[in-house]
Amino acid sequence: MPKIKVLLFVALLIAQGLGAPILPAGAAQAAEADICLGCHGGKDILITFESGEKLPAFVDGEALRGSAHGALECSDCHGGFSAEKHPQRKFKTRRGFKAQASGICRQCHTPRSATHKKMLLDVKDLICTDCHGAHAVKTAQGSENHCTDCHRHGIVMTFAGGEKLSLQVDAGEIKRSVHSMLRCYDCHFGFSAEEHPRRAFKSRRDMTIINSEGCRRCHFDKYTKTLEGIHFDILSQGNLNAPVCADCHGSHSIHSGRKEKLLSAKRCERCHSEIYGTYLQSVHGNALVSERNQDVPVCSDCHKAHDIADPRTVDFRNMTPEMCGNCHANEALMAKYGLSTSVVKSYLEDFHGVTVSFYKKQKKAVRHIAVCTDCHGIHNITKTKGPDAAALKEKLLERCRKCHPNATENFPDAWMSHYEPTFKRAPLVYIVRAGYKIFIPFMVIGLALQILLHIWRYAVNR
Amino acid sequence: MQSTGKVKRFGPYRIIEHQANALVFAVLVLTGLSQKFHTASWAEWVVLALGGIDAVRLIHRWSGIVFSILLLEHIAVAAFGLLFRKWPPSIVINKKDFSDAIETLKFYFGLTDRPARCDRYDYKQKFEYWGVVVGGMLMMATGITLWFSADIFSLMPFLPGQIIPAAKEAHTNEAMLAFLVIVIWHIYNSIFSPEVFPLDTAIFTGKISKERMLHEHPLEYERVFGKIDDKEP
Repeated sequence: MPKIKVLLFVALLIAQGLGAPILPAGAAQAAEADICLGCHGGKDILITFESGEKLPAFVDGEALRGSAHGALECSDCHGGFSAEKHPQRKFKTRRGFKAQASGICRQCHTPRSATHKKMLLDVKDLICTDCHGAHAVKTAQGSENHCTDCHRHGIVMTFAGGEKLSLQVDAGEIKRSVHSMLRCYDCHFGFSAEEHPRRAFKSRRDMTIINSEGCRRCHFDKYTKTLEGIHFDILSQGNLNAPVCADCHGSHSIHSGRKEKLLSAKRCERCHSEIYGTYLQSVHGNALVSERNQDVPVCSDCHKAHDIADPRTVDFRNMTPEMCGNCHANEALMAKYGLSTSVVKSYLEDFHGVTVSFYKKQKKAVRHIAVCTDCHGIHNITKTKGPDAAALKEKLLERCRKCHPNATENFPDAWMSHYEPTFKRAPLVYIVRAGYKIFIPFMVIGLALQILLHIWRYAVNR
Repeated sequence: MQSTGKVKRFGPYRIIEHQANALVFAVLVLTGLSQKFHTASWAEWVVLALGGIDAVRLIHRWSGIVFSILLLEHIAVAAFGLLFRKWPPSIVINKKDFSDAIETLKFYFGLTDRPARCDRYDYKQKFEYWGVVVGGMLMMATGITLWFSADIFSLMPFLPGQIIPAAKEAHTNEAMLAFLVIVIWHIYNSIFSPEVFPLDTAIFTGKISKERMLHEHPLEYERVFGKIDDKEP
């Protein structure tokens, strides 16, 4: 159908080009238009609306003649006006004027495509001239902003379940996003300047999930990582609330996830608000919010972003020392805050650390072994110095008892809190260690000397 | 010279006792040192080959029990023998051992013509024996402390928490010392020493040649066979 329309327009244009003889009406139009353009061809006439807005009542004669409406008379659209009559009209706003003018278009034009019809239904104050132009009237096809011509309006999508979603797109938002260079149909497959397939999604959630499938076309590495993640697991088990790409990254307003740590944490907050609240109270979360500290870990630093593992598994627990060590064994980073990097080493040297290290290498890791988080907390990690230290110590026995039910008051001191044994802090340990440091070399050297002397004497005596 | 032939030195009880001790010591060393040097690749291999760290600890602890039983049984038998069977205290260290050590060292330096004349056990053997007994007791005590680290405090609430790391320090260092003494000293004296090379078979056969007995334990030899007349052809 549109083709026939175009042909008709072309025929009219040719007819016009050939001059008036074929179409006597054209001659009349030319005469009327000439009279109108006599005044409106100049740029100095200004219409002032009641709102104070001003609009130049200028008509580009060339554009009008070159348009699909080139064969119409001015009065065909501007009813009531003619070469003789020029009634005074008053409009409150420019927008109101345009809306009223759109009514005139609909006298001849009824929308044919379902999309267009739906759009007219959804958008109450749709103004034809916004897309098609007024005097230089044109079809909307081939427009540079092909998609946003329609989608800047509040078109509403209704899902099978009755849910509604506005399809209004803020072009500026896309321009500000990291995807500013992409075209709409780079993500919205199947759509193009020519094609606008109708999609039937069951629900808004369904649409988000299905649309997020498209991200992998470019971000395949991230996509494969998500396949190992707990969110994908939950999703594939049928829980559609599990987050997909767009839930964390946004859709049109997509931006880099790495720039601002707080923003990154806030994404997780949307679903994990309770944990987020706890985290904000912790030494890490507090520094993030109060100092905008970018060194502290946020959710994704421990849990990762895409291949988020189930933190309740033994494997995840056993990774904890390594995870904390990423920062707490980093000399330069810890020096900034006056923290010791020997905490990881001292842990790994002790029973718990040795066990965990081996569990990581063994196929079966059977027991729950105390890792960093068992004493220091998980999301509620506190400082180990100052007022928090006493509370930490108080809880220590309770925590020991989880695995060592017979533990008594003195038992937690068996762990020297990451400190090297000094004479002041742990005299007994210090003395034993120092004693052997002298005794072992003394014995070994003494015995070796005796052996050498024995061999030497034996050789001499032979 | 009457130094040909063999003399009985150890009965089957001592032979079995030594072999059992050697075996359990080897297992303890393997499972213990692989925990001590847990980051070394060989240790990792041993631990994984034995079925993981929990399995290694289990083997180590049960071997420790066997070792402790052997040790306590040895002490009990020795005490019984000394008290009721009138066993000679031949292994007890006395003043002569110190002078023997000095005399032998003098000989090594070429200051005297011959080493100290020793009895059934020379000072080196006594040193080793007491090393095993005293060290073994220490290993037993510290091992139990580490094994029952929580219960130790309910039993003795006065103990400070640092008793656990101190026990670990003592256990691991004493083990290292014992291991080095055995590897350097015992292996040398029973295998590589030119006097016994290629192997001192006394602990396997229970017998020692008269020649070696005369040479290494002249006082015992004299007690058994009478005074040696050096001038006798």
